[in-house]
Parts: sequence; structure tokens; C-alpha cells
Amino acid sequence: MAATAPERPSDVPSAPARAVVAGSGLLRGGWTRMLGLAVAVALLVAVTLGSVLLGTLPVGLSDVVGALTGPPDSDVERAVRYIRIPRTATGLLAGTALGVAGAVMQGLTRNPLAGPGVLGVNAGAALAVVLAMVGLGITTAAGYVWFAFAGAAVAAVFVYLLGSLGLGGATPVKLALAGSAFTALLGAITTMITLRDASTMDDFRYWVVGSLTRSDGEALTAVAPLIAVGVVVAAGLTRALNALALGDDLARSLGTRLWIDRTVGALAVVLLAGGATAIAGPIGFIGLVVPHVARMVAGPDYRWVLAWTAVLAPTLLLVADVLGRVLVRPEQLQVGIITGLAGAPFFLYLVRNRKVVGT
Amino acid sequence: MGRFKPKTSLAVFPVVLALLVVSACAADEKETSASTDVVTVENCGIDVTVEKPPERVYAAYQPAIEIAHALGISDRLIETAFLDSQVLPEYADAQDQVTYVEQLPTREALLATEPDFVLSGYNNVFTEDGAGDESFGTRASLADLGIQSWILSPLCPSADGLSDEAIDPATVSVETIYDDLRDLGVLFDVEDRAEEVIADQQQRIAAVEQAVAGADRPSVAIVLLDEGGGIRVAGGIDFGTQIIEHAGGVNAFADLVERRHVEIDLEELIRRDPDVIVTSTCCDASYTREDGAAEVQTILQNPALAGMSAVRDGAVHPFLFADRAAGVRIAHAIELLASLLHPDAVTPSQEGTSQDGTA
Repeated sequence: MAATAPERPSDVPSAPARAVVAGSGLLRGGWTRMLGLAVAVALLVAVTLGSVLLGTLPVGLSDVVGALTGPPDSDVERAVRYIRIPRTATGLLAGTALGVAGAVMQGLTRNPLAGPGVLGVNAGAALAVVLAMVGLGITTAAGYVWFAFAGAAVAAVFVYLLGSLGLGGATPVKLALAGSAFTALLGAITTMITLRDASTMDDFRYWVVGSLTRSDGEALTAVAPLIAVGVVVAAGLTRALNALALGDDLARSLGTRLWIDRTVGALAVVLLAGGATAIAGPIGFIGLVVPHVARMVAGPDYRWVLAWTAVLAPTLLLVADVLGRVLVRPEQLQVGIITGLAGAPFFLYLVRNRKVVGT
Repeated sequence: MGRFKPKTSLAVFPVVLALLVVSACAADEKETSASTDVVTVENCGIDVTVEKPPERVYAAYQPAIEIAHALGISDRLIETAFLDSQVLPEYADAQDQVTYVEQLPTREALLATEPDFVLSGYNNVFTEDGAGDESFGTRASLADLGIQSWILSPLCPSADGLSDEAIDPATVSVETIYDDLRDLGVLFDVEDRAEEVIADQQQRIAAVEQAVAGADRPSVAIVLLDEGGGIRVAGGIDFGTQIIEHAGGVNAFADLVERRHVEIDLEELIRRDPDVIVTSTCCDASYTREDGAAEVQTILQNPALAGMSAVRDGAVHPFLFADRAAGVRIAHAIELLASLLHPDAVTPSQEGTSQDGTA
């Protein structure tokens, strides 16, 4: 992974996609990137700590220790144990999962605008949650988790099958089209149901924005293994993603078995995006934007993109959540609002500057 | 300015025609009209003019429906929509006699009932953009069709077409409801009945105030549990604040006056540690306070809240959203809440009690 590409200012319109595996991005050379990644990890650790310490109630390190080492015996220790830590853990899990899912999706479909939702995952989860609210009268947050996950999985499988019909199997374009169409269909059904039921609409309004305060420890420990498996599967796919970035024909001539990689990739995305949506709701922009940030920093090699994404995405999500707590105190903004507010302009910047890889 | 617009839908045609036949007296002609029957009163800055007491009244939301029954004009209700809970026992028979629909009608469905008066308990039905399908259109647009309208004055927006964000805090008081009852009494030619209702409310509320005078004033939080782990509380401009104060308490979140409902961090509830927490159980025509038991359990079982005064003292009570609304439930609601805040001084069933032996 020596950086052999000629030096060029990073703000020059993007390198041709063919230069993929060779270096570009702000950090070049294995050591620089490794060092940079170490700094990013340190930042993530700091943000994680900040997420536990910062908020409405004043929390000190001793409170954190107290909350972790025994039964909490003060309001602050209880808040740390039952609010701050689950909230922070949700941010770490959902952030990593959304980011990695987005990167895999962008690689699989060679579509720089792809996010975790492309396979219909969010729409499927949303419909399942609404059905759980209306049909079964489930009102506790933890009760939605498995519905959300099942909805995400069913939708993704369906989109994948739909996209695989016809010549050439699951090509990126067909997947994206099938995903968009199916998302629109599911969205219409969801809207139809919520419009007819005011109280469900009220609940759904909050669910659909996405927040880190939804899941308790039980839900998190149930979903965490799924996300972990998803990350491992995605990590195993990096070489295939690099080959896919060269185009189907070249990838095939390099010995990549496209349908296997796509299927495995889709599985990873379902585990990751489904898991994230289950515990935090459909949080926008993290999965779309962070892989691009990772590429700007570390170049287009998916081994680095995935590593940087896995570190940067939870960092950004936790920062957004902390901002939502402190910006409008004593009120609170759901994290999905912050990521939307911050992510949308950045996304426009990306589109305008073509700092994207693929196509 | 004719109110006979070319685009008037067929459904309204008969109403408009009927009105024109009865009298061709438009709002802007009222100065010249010598008829003593024409009555104009102001509501939320809008002149409401009727030539004779309205005969076809559409009542939207619980407060409007109950006021209609209280004023004895139940037989003029063409339809009632959207109850938050059961109506008070004294109105149950009357409510059984009128048409009831669970959902608010669309503008078209409203017009199809051919109302000459729309009485609304809340302001959101007259918003400009028609939030979802739930807006009847602005009051001016209804007046163009010859339909007069009324918003309960404690919820007056600063201009036609606006909603909760534009409530004038100065109008949020019990007195404003009495003014409304008097004005409606004039419009519907039931002034004596209106005075009886007012006297009854005044007498019952005064009895509660007398019973709780001098007692400690506990802080009270009206809490709405949201999907997503967040909560909303009733802020200072919500009428609930008035209910709490007349019942001998203070709203723990009275300082938040941006909107009626404010989304806060759960930690903010812990930080303020109100003496009493009440739910805001809503919205179904079958609901009674018993239906708030699940919400109470959710609060009691949240480990993060285990140290709060209200939780430890067993001071988390089911409470109906309907019982913190401006309307003719106020005396009932104040008696009920006072019995929860000051059980030694007030009993829910009877109002004028002695306060022997209490602090």
C-alpha cells in the first residue's frame, strides 16, 4: 500500500476511479494512515467518555466508577448506568453499523449516493414498527427492536431477489432501482397506516427521527452480536469491494465471483443497518456521508475506508447526540435531527465537488 | 366581498343558499344592518357574527364537545369529533345522542356536514397549510363560506392560521374560559345557562382554593412518554399549569413557555425532581384514568428514575390529557388534582371540605 500516486493537492477534482487502489486522500502511506487512525481512535475514546460525562446532570468520573462497580445509589449514578451508558453504547453500535453498512453499500453498488437504506432496510423496519404499534399495540421501545430488525431483513431480501431477476443477476443499477421502488411502496403503506391513526402517528413521528435514548441494556446486548458479525463480514469483503470498484468486467477477470460477494455484502448490510435501525431508528446521513469522509482522508482503498468509517461514524454520531443534549437545554433535540442538519449541507458539498469515488 | 365564491363546492351550496335566503347580511354590512338579532362577539381577534343562533354546530375535540353539552345546545350538534377520553358523566347521555367520529374530518368532510358554526377545542384545525389532512382551513376561509368558527380563547394564536407556537400566555387563564362561555352564551342565545355553568365552575374552584390555601405547594410535572425514550412535559403556556396552580401546586416546568409541550432529556426530569408526576393519558373516547396505569408503571419501573421523590413517595398518578384542557372540565380537573396533591384537604367526590388538622 505504498503511496505511489503523484502528489497532488487534495482539493483537485477527484482522481479517476481507476487509480482506486493506489493512494490518494489526505493521508498517504501506511504509517501515516496508521498513525492517523490511532489519533482517530483516541478521539473516539475521548468522545465516548464525553458522551458519558456531558449532559443535564453533572457527572464526575467517580460517579461513572460508582455506577460501574456496584448497584447505583444516587440519582447521578443511576442516570449514568441507565441513561448515559446505554445511550453511549447505542451511539457506538449504531454509528459503527450505519457507517460500515454505508461503505459496503457504496462499494457493492458502485453508487456514491448509496446509503444503508438503499436495500429498503429503513423502509422495511419502519413499516414493521408501525404494524407492531397498530396491530399489536406495542408501545415500549424495546418491544420494537425485533420488529424493526425483521422488517429490515425481509425488505432487504425482497429487494435483493427483485434486483436479481433477469439478465446479469443483481447488478448495482437493478438493486438500486428495486430498492427505490420497494422503499416507495413501503413508505406509502406506512403513511397510509399512520395517517389513519393519530396516536400511532405521534409515536411514529418520534421513532422515524432516530434517537439513542430508545434502547435499554437488554435490547443492546441482543443486537450487539448481530452488528459485530456484520462488521466482521464487511471486513472480510474489502478486497472484493476494491475489485468491484474497477467495474464488473475487470472484477470478474480478477477472479472475483460477483454474485457471492454481492450476496455476502447484502447480508452484512442487513445485519448492520437492520441492527442499527432496530436500536436507534432510521438515523440519516451517517451511513451516507462518513464513508466519503473516510475516502477524503485515507483514499479509496476499501481496507482503509472501512477502518476509518468504523471509527469516524460512531465519533460523529456521539458528537451529534451530545450536541442535541447541550445546545437547547433544558430541551433536547433527537440525534437524527442533528445528523440531518449537519449531514445535509455536507452531502451537498460532496455532490458539488464530486469528491466521490466510483460511477 | 361576496362569500359566494365560484369555486364553492356543491356540498356547501345549500348552506350558502339558505343563509342568503335568510338574510343577505354579510360581515362587512353589519354596521348598516338595523336588525337587533345580529350578534357580533370577538374571538381570538376575529369578529364572529351571527344573525341568529347557529343551528348546525360542528364540535371538534373534547373541550368543544363538552362545552356544547354544558351550554345545553347538544341538539344543535351535527357531528362531534376526536374525544381524548370519556366525556364527564353529566354529559354522557347527551353525547350518546349525537354523531361521533374518532378522527377529525378533512375540510371536505367537514363542509359535507353543512355546518354553520365550527367550535374547536384546539387551534390546530384552522392552520394555514393544513397540517396533514387535519386542517379545516383558516377561519377566514370558512367565514367566506358563511361558516363562523370559535377557538377556545386560552389557545388563541396571535393570528388566523397559526397554531400553538403563537399562543399569548396572558390569555391562558380560567377567566378567559368564563369569557368564552359568556360570549358563546350570547351567540347561542343561552346566556342564562352560560352564567349557571360559570357560577358552578367558580364556586367549585373557589372551594378547592380555600381548602388548599396555606398548604405547601408541591411541584408537579405533567409527563408525556414518547417513543424513543424521550419525554415531553407540559410547559408554562399549557393550560395544565393553570389546573396545577388552582389545585395548590406549581408546574415544575412552568419556565418553559416556547410551546405547550416541550421535549426534554429524561435527566432534566431527574434534575428538577418534581414532588408529583402525572401522566397525560390520551386519546380515545373510551379512556378513563384507569387507562393511565400502564404509563404509571412505565415510569415506576424505569431504573433511572428510581431515586426520584415522586417515585419513592408513590406520587406518580394516572391523569387524563382531557383533565388539563381549557373547557368545562376545569372544576372537575382541579378538584381531582387537588385531591392528589392534598389528599388530606380535598377529596375528589366532594369539594367543600374542612381542612382540620392539615398543615
